[in-house]
Amino acid sequence: MVYTKNNPALFIIGLMMLAIWYFTESGLLAPVIEHLAAGKSYRYTSELMTIPFYFGLIATLFGLWQWLGTHKEGNWDYYASTIAGGMFILLITMLVRWFIAPEIAVISIGFGEIGNTGKYIHELLGLNYVVTGIVTGLIIVNIFQIPVWAKNGVRLSRLGLKTGVILLGALYSAAELKNLGGLSIIMIGFFVLGSVWMVLWMGARRNISNSMGGVLSAGMGVCGVSATVAVAPVVQAKPVEIAYTIGTILLWGVGCMFLFPIIGNLLNMSHVQFGAWAGTGILNSAQVAGAALAFQPDGIETLMVAEIFNITRVLILPIIVLWLAMWYVKREGDNAVQVNVGRVVIEKFPVFVLGFILMFVLSTTGIFAPANHYQGKYFGNTAEQGFKQENRLKPNQTALLQSEASQVQRADYNAALQHLIENGKIMSIDDDTAVRGLINAKIMTQDANEILKQAHAAVRHTAQKIEAFRQWITWLFAFGLVGLGMQITIGSMKQAGGQPAVIGGIVGFIKAALSLVVVMMLVSETV
Amino acid sequence: MLVEHILLASHGTEGAIAAERMAMSICCKGGKIHHLIVVPEFWQGMTGDDWLNNGSTRDIFRRYLENELGREVDEHCERINKKASIDSLIYSNEIVLGEPENLLLNTSEKQSFDLIIIGSPRPKHKKGLRSRMLTEDLVRSLTIPLLIVPYPQQTHDR
Repeated sequence: MVYTKNNPALFIIGLMMLAIWYFTESGLLAPVIEHLAAGKSYRYTSELMTIPFYFGLIATLFGLWQWLGTHKEGNWDYYASTIAGGMFILLITMLVRWFIAPEIAVISIGFGEIGNTGKYIHELLGLNYVVTGIVTGLIIVNIFQIPVWAKNGVRLSRLGLKTGVILLGALYSAAELKNLGGLSIIMIGFFVLGSVWMVLWMGARRNISNSMGGVLSAGMGVCGVSATVAVAPVVQAKPVEIAYTIGTILLWGVGCMFLFPIIGNLLNMSHVQFGAWAGTGILNSAQVAGAALAFQPDGIETLMVAEIFNITRVLILPIIVLWLAMWYVKREGDNAVQVNVGRVVIEKFPVFVLGFILMFVLSTTGIFAPANHYQGKYFGNTAEQGFKQENRLKPNQTALLQSEASQVQRADYNAALQHLIENGKIMSIDDDTAVRGLINAKIMTQDANEILKQAHAAVRHTAQKIEAFRQWITWLFAFGLVGLGMQITIGSMKQAGGQPAVIGGIVGFIKAALSLVVVMMLVSETV
Repeated sequence: MLVEHILLASHGTEGAIAAERMAMSICCKGGKIHHLIVVPEFWQGMTGDDWLNNGSTRDIFRRYLENELGREVDEHCERINKKASIDSLIYSNEIVLGEPENLLLNTSEKQSFDLIIIGSPRPKHKKGLRSRMLTEDLVRSLTIPLLIVPYPQQTHDR
């Protein structure tokens, strides 16, 4: 079978991307951009001038070849056929991120702030480019249908998400990974095991079959549809049981993705708290990422927390599969299929997590940024580390600092200030921390504080590679989530019903509510 | 009333079984029953938005689901075939994946059927998968008489 279609769609997509780039470069889009900025500076201008140009060029050239070339059966044909669908998702993501979501914000701002929340409708409801993108994906698949030429490529969204998680590995510090890992193991361990046990217990009381109980408990407890897909063959679930379970999980997941950010905003949750709550309380792993980005669309701190929880879930999955397999064999006896433990562990092991770990290890070696970087920012006061000699303080500046030094009583602040005065630059990370404390304490005059800020800025550098990773991660997740939206059909959600809907509803609600209480009480605002 | 060539659309639910019984009872000896089984297209979306699993796990799931659906369809066809041969009827079947309403319309135009028989929709309190064949558009578009057999429970209630 030849997968690549002789179709002009990819070529047209390429031209559309190039048109976006050209209209931006030539200034024709300036009135639109000014309108979307709503009096502020439009934050996507640099993206508009690069991304549509490069991808537009690729799509146009490949599109011409796909449209007019001859295609033969084979591996190359299969992989080439995915490009059109991938570019289709990318174009939707571009339109939503750059134009549709900002327009929603403009309309929302027009309505004014909601009550005394200090927030606009779109902020409160999390109607940003991520949620709008997923909703656009849902609309496309359920109302217009995915075009035949794009069907193969829509699957690339999974690759986008996995690549995003792998790149995310480069952004954690060892301390963050240790603290978040510990927290997620405790939270996920308790809530996963708790909800699996609860579904099995409720299932036994409501007389559902063992296969139904097995597949539902995995879906409700571990990572939603992914766990259902992994467990269904092991517990010999019937098609109708699979349909009920997946329908219930998708309905819950999509609902939670909209509801969680609203609650998070109303409760003024921190990034860590929200990431931990979404990572524990939302049944389906795809919607965990969606909710995290919906809560914090212009940063990835919440996503970083939520994804650690997702990774912990997926690492627990082979253990849960084995547990449920043994539970099923014990209940069904000879009717059950025998499970090969080694094979389950190998088959279900999430290979992309190895990529995540590899990126983390590489990051600690200093290949992407100095090893002491924190979220891409690092201290450096030598030329090799990026310090510019012209940023050294001038004699009149050090003289001003010296004249006010007597006002500083605290020993560490005083020592750091003296080092700065003597050397014209901040000499260590500890000194830098002390100088920041001195600035925040507002002990010195405004002019002296400005000099301190200048000295601090001169030794803080942004790692270009890490900054690029952050950009790529945002795009990969946005791309992946729009594509996943295109795979959620109302037809499958409509199958939610029967006992799974009742049991799933009860367990899902308890899990979400209880994890919220635990997070608010026990999880601090930072890690 | 006896008919010679019936298009029976059924997929094993209680309503469909009532339709099967009706088809057997009104088909004349030596008559033909063409059995249409539609596997609803929502099954294609059953891997949903899973992205954490490896490709091999998804393949195992897809194969498992296809086998299970296939087994259910085979058992269903086997059962009707047995009944048809006891009543000396000629049985044939067609298994298709897609939208039930359109597929019934397509099949009804392929051969010269005398009658189409389907079961009535499931009562609201009854559990089951949601996939409707009987729609207003279908009734409006059909050129062959359509017999909708009452749901078994409703018959017993009367």
